[in-house]
Amino acid sequence: MSRQNRSGLSRALNIFGPFIGLVLVIALFALIPEVQGRFLRMANFKSVATQSVIVALGALGMTLIIVSGGIDLSAASNIALASVITAYAVNAGAAPAWALLFGVLTGGLVGLANGALVTRLRLVPFIVTMGMMGIARGAAKWIAGNQKIDAPMTWINELMAKSPRPSWLLMAPGIWIVILFAAAMAVLLKFTVFGRHIFAVGSNEATARLCGIRTDRVKVLVYAVSGLFCGLSGVMEFSRLTVGDPTVAVGLELDIIAAVVIGGGSLNGGEGSILGTMIGVLIMSFLRNGCTMMGWPNYIQEIIIGAIIIVAVAIDRLRHRKEC
Amino acid sequence: MKRPAVKITLVALGAALALSACAKEPSGPSATAGAKTLQIAVIPKGTTHEFWKSIHAGAVRAGRELGVDIIWKGPQKEDDRAQQITVVEDFISRGVDGIVLAPLDDRALMRPVRDAAREKIPVVVIDSGLQGGDYVSYVATDNYKGGVLAARRLGELLGGRGRIFLIRYQEGSASTVQREAGFADTVAKEFPGLEILVKDQYAGATTETAYQLAENLISRFPDVQGVFTPNESSTFGTLRALQESGLAGKIVFVGFDSSPKLVQGLRDGAIQGLVIQNPARMGYLGVKTVVAHLKGEPVEKVVDTGVVLATRDNMDAPDIKGLLSPDLSNIAD
Repeated sequence: MSRQNRSGLSRALNIFGPFIGLVLVIALFALIPEVQGRFLRMANFKSVATQSVIVALGALGMTLIIVSGGIDLSAASNIALASVITAYAVNAGAAPAWALLFGVLTGGLVGLANGALVTRLRLVPFIVTMGMMGIARGAAKWIAGNQKIDAPMTWINELMAKSPRPSWLLMAPGIWIVILFAAAMAVLLKFTVFGRHIFAVGSNEATARLCGIRTDRVKVLVYAVSGLFCGLSGVMEFSRLTVGDPTVAVGLELDIIAAVVIGGGSLNGGEGSILGTMIGVLIMSFLRNGCTMMGWPNYIQEIIIGAIIIVAVAIDRLRHRKEC
Repeated sequence: MKRPAVKITLVALGAALALSACAKEPSGPSATAGAKTLQIAVIPKGTTHEFWKSIHAGAVRAGRELGVDIIWKGPQKEDDRAQQITVVEDFISRGVDGIVLAPLDDRALMRPVRDAAREKIPVVVIDSGLQGGDYVSYVATDNYKGGVLAARRLGELLGGRGRIFLIRYQEGSASTVQREAGFADTVAKEFPGLEILVKDQYAGATTETAYQLAENLISRFPDVQGVFTPNESSTFGTLRALQESGLAGKIVFVGFDSSPKLVQGLRDGAIQGLVIQNPARMGYLGVKTVVAHLKGEPVEKVVDTGVVLATRDNMDAPDIKGLLSPDLSNIAD
């Protein structure tokens, strides 16, 4: 009986753990009288959601990769490269739709290269993507001529506008895009054969192969899809900055990985969920937002986020210990 | 088995609350809700360089004099454009009364500043320019004039003739481009006897890249007689290269900005002049201007915070000394 209790509790912790964190963070700031009234406003929630779009898109792909037992350190460089490509295309006179497509595809190509290198050369994803991190960042700087690219304003820049046109959208189009893709990815991961294969590869690759899963194909696909998301995230970065900046998003891959981990993803593979990841993204965004509103110095913010990552992983470990 | 999870949650909650409690205290008198104390957010490009600390000190001084609250907050990563946009947005959400902003990008920050204007939050831009007209005033160093001062110092010390380097900082950095233009224009106009050997080489963002460039230039033109560099990192990198090659003190070297190492170089005679800005005044006037605007007083669209030339002879005069080694003691951190 106690065993059942335990698994019930750990399942509850599994599902609600990240929620508890988010509620705690929101409650923390909602209880401070200095910012209370402002923090709980709809306008502020919208602005936090808009700020989350870039990390959220990157984290959608990263969740797939981490569930499959891999890691992608090149995500942030990939985002910067895609934002530069988009700006370059707009500047060169391409129609905004084409520019957007080029940006997304660039990300996809980088992801595909990651996947191909990991499977063909049998290298550890950490090494491959660490190399790709430098390659993509360098390529971005090269294409941009070592400076930012100023591009004329188009509807791409409306994607991340806080007050969208048409106004019935209520939120920036980028937020809707994230919600749509998050739902799609959650379904893909939970209910499709491909999604179950990702979990199988992440849990035990050898067994998965013996069961007849073409593990290499699964991995290449996972990296390619994740790259496409980084590309889309790069387009959003360009939309927000209105310039293509090759030096943007340095270190953002760690935020993205942290979001997945806070949301219950395990770096050992085989675990993680889209919902958890999205909550992880929101936890970090709300913390930043609240700390800024309070005017707290940056180091406090960094310490809190660091502590939260460790606590989240500690809970993760605890869950594992219980299972065995 | 149940307990550890609960414990961890409790510890986490406790830690978060403790942090929030101890972090809250220094924020000062703002807790009195409903009082009419104005809240001014001051947003630098970064928080760790001495230049920004001086701006912080100036802003705090203005805040004390005027009786307004200063909230100091930079992007978490130095020089990250996207994060600076986030900081501006968060302060708009918070509903501060005014914003003083040193934009990291003359274009990327246009939209958040326009959002602030729409919410009736006035923005004063300091240090670097911003496109568009959604801000109240631009409070900054007249960078062109700084270049002019440097050129005159170099020209006079060389007696109007000689072979010199103009080492540029970085492409696309508006303030240093203006300094370089002021320098080059003045040399061309007032000192036709000066020959600029190098004028399109960029030192890059760090001391290291500047050091390498200066070394390479010196080995190519060992008979150089004068050098101008337009910011702190390029000045320090060049100083190191001159010291290593034994040229320090033998050629005329005029730099820009100050740091303890550069002040030492000035005292040792390795540097013949440093053009210095007045960042404390920038922070001070930035806050003053936005408060004046909030009180309905007319403000200038452009405010010059001044540049001066520090030399070995005047470096111990009180006003110059204050600029070379700014007093940061009033930042309650």
